[in-house]
Amino acid sequence: MTQKKQGTNLLYSMMAEARQYSDVIVLGRGDPDFDTPPHIVAAAKDAMVQHAAENVPPEGIAPLRQAIAARVKRVNNIDVDPETEIVVTNGGQEALFLMVVAVLGAGDELIVPEPNYNTYVDSLKFARGVKVGVTTHYETNFRVFPDEIRAAVTAKTRALLLVSPNNPTAGVIPAEDMRALIQIAHDHDLMIIADDIYDQFVYDDVQHVSSASLPGGKERTLTLNALSKSYSMTGWRLGWIVGAADVMARVKALKAAINGGTSVIAQYAGLAALTGDQAPVTMMHDAYKRRRRIVLDALDAMGIRYGVPQGGQFVFADISFTGLDSATFAQTVLQEQHVLIYPGAAFDSVRAQYIRITFLQPEEKLREGLERMKVAVQKMMANR
Amino acid sequence: MPTTKSTLLQHHHDNVLLNVPLPAPMMRTPHDLSADEGLFPLDEHVIEGAVTALESGQTHYVDVPGIAPLREQIAADLNATQHSSYQKTNIVVTAGVQESRFLTIQMIGERFERIAIPAVIHPGALKALGVRPMPLDRIPVEAANGYLPTVEAIRATLESGTRFLYLESPSRLTGRAYSADEVRAIAALIVAHDAAVVWDQGLSVWTMGDAYTALSAQPDMAARTAAIGEVVPGMGLASWFISYIAAPEDWITPMQSQKQIMAICTSTASQYAALEAGKLFAQTHPFNAARLKASRMTLIGLAARTNLDVIDGQAVNVLALRLSPDAKARSLATLTDAGYTVADGADFGASDTLRITVTAEATAGHALSRLLV
Repeated sequence: MTQKKQGTNLLYSMMAEARQYSDVIVLGRGDPDFDTPPHIVAAAKDAMVQHAAENVPPEGIAPLRQAIAARVKRVNNIDVDPETEIVVTNGGQEALFLMVVAVLGAGDELIVPEPNYNTYVDSLKFARGVKVGVTTHYETNFRVFPDEIRAAVTAKTRALLLVSPNNPTAGVIPAEDMRALIQIAHDHDLMIIADDIYDQFVYDDVQHVSSASLPGGKERTLTLNALSKSYSMTGWRLGWIVGAADVMARVKALKAAINGGTSVIAQYAGLAALTGDQAPVTMMHDAYKRRRRIVLDALDAMGIRYGVPQGGQFVFADISFTGLDSATFAQTVLQEQHVLIYPGAAFDSVRAQYIRITFLQPEEKLREGLERMKVAVQKMMANR
Repeated sequence: MPTTKSTLLQHHHDNVLLNVPLPAPMMRTPHDLSADEGLFPLDEHVIEGAVTALESGQTHYVDVPGIAPLREQIAADLNATQHSSYQKTNIVVTAGVQESRFLTIQMIGERFERIAIPAVIHPGALKALGVRPMPLDRIPVEAANGYLPTVEAIRATLESGTRFLYLESPSRLTGRAYSADEVRAIAALIVAHDAAVVWDQGLSVWTMGDAYTALSAQPDMAARTAAIGEVVPGMGLASWFISYIAAPEDWITPMQSQKQIMAICTSTASQYAALEAGKLFAQTHPFNAARLKASRMTLIGLAARTNLDVIDGQAVNVLALRLSPDAKARSLATLTDAGYTVADGADFGASDTLRITVTAEATAGHALSRLLV
């Protein structure tokens, strides 16, 4: 049954199946194993006492928008006016949906470097837009080549999706490519939908560059971010979009239409995250760096090829040598070894030979999960 | 030549539905009487419950439709108060009633060619439709019926061929709720025409006296109704954005998928707070409702002293006044000068009406007293 499902439905089906196994090790979903840092929870408690009934405008409370403006300046080098150029959202997922619906309508084309986070395509379907995929490859660390993007532009193209670090490939767009992509957007009058959610998780001296920070980028870019990954706040649902004031007015109207606002408590928790102690972010980054090495070493030992993850919290690896498609591979690992990994087929239909492995488990558990996966792979190879 | 950006901005500018103004879901200032819900204190047990959950690690993604105990609690409350037969699988927890409107209108609407919405309605329904419009019919309403469509108006709409309706009971403008006879008649029409309904019953907990009659509890209506409303209204959680959709399971599936696409889940802090508030609701709510009822009676008395026309309604948390254009303009100016904000019925489609949020404290009374001078 699972193999017949696609995209998000395939992932949720596997997550439901994984819950049946009491000893399951989850290396699938992008939900950090760390709990939210205590000082953020404490701030939420204070907010429940002091701000529980506070008015929440659709764009978010002013102190949080000011903190976001400071953050995107500090981390992303993007100048934004907190009054008019920020909308707070229910997590990065809502930000993603709003950006797509704000920019694209029926028949409009969005250029999507593939593979990519499947919710972009789901959101595009809601907007009745059209995906134009541009394939990236592990041999080049899933680099987004500007010339290939330019070749994909048609008269119906309205926007370009840039997710850096990418999910699921973990590829990062270097500055020179980002400049070239902005030039393409300028030449063809395209908007840019930028997803920076993993911007604080890059490795091996790779630099993250936001398109809105470069000349000519800001006026045509909507940029999303969220606290889910960087502060381990997935359950709180807090994110944001920044962009030029004229387009952000449209985003704000859409935000008011789809839910009206974001929980006041989540917003004060987010304020504490952005303005408080940043040591937990550094701690988590260091932990992910170590875990990434563990995963890569294990994949090397199994003979599995991958694009070297330059960022993110996962590895996208090629399992074609097993002779199995990714859904069958992931299903086998889950059923036989109780380890949940995501099949690449869920991220786009042509990625049937890839799997995504997250490193969002403690090192010991991560090692055990990879050991179990190795057993499954050995069995697959023995049965070939 | 227009640019991509100028084209999308023009498209936005031209979208009348998306640009309708909304009343705030919560009071913005102590003198703000335009909100859907007044100020209510947050019980310390609710804070404890939410903090305990967060401190124990409930800071991660949870199930898309909501945490199981909250969905079970919502279903049980609806079953107990409205004679419904919901299971937790019939419930989606949403990030506020506007999200409930959006998910129901957009996702159930995919099954139909057009939608009918009363000519007077909470503007959030139109706004939700505006994100991705579909053909819209407006159902005529009458002031004498509390600005709800009559059964005959609903019949005419269905006979015209529209099969998807959005209705409120009570009206979020006037508080007027359909009687049991009216609900039975509406249900019979819906079944006879093989139609479907989004039924905004968010103010139902504020009806006093006669028992509230829910559409979904009528024969053959559970499979044709998506009921929406706030979770534990009046418990101090308006700013936490926590509401529900109760619907047949085959409707839940696409709404749950869309919820995943646009939010993954509702904030865990809000869900655990609502779960705790739900345990207190049965003992707290009657006290809150009784206080609002007393306040509303006082307001009606004040209105009578100046011949202000109060629109009859069963929900005690709102009071709607019907005024001539001149009187309305004078009243709005007087209230604004005194620092008060009230909801303009024009935003709901009733240009001759003002809506005042009924408060347990004297705020609403003080505001109305200004109109006596």
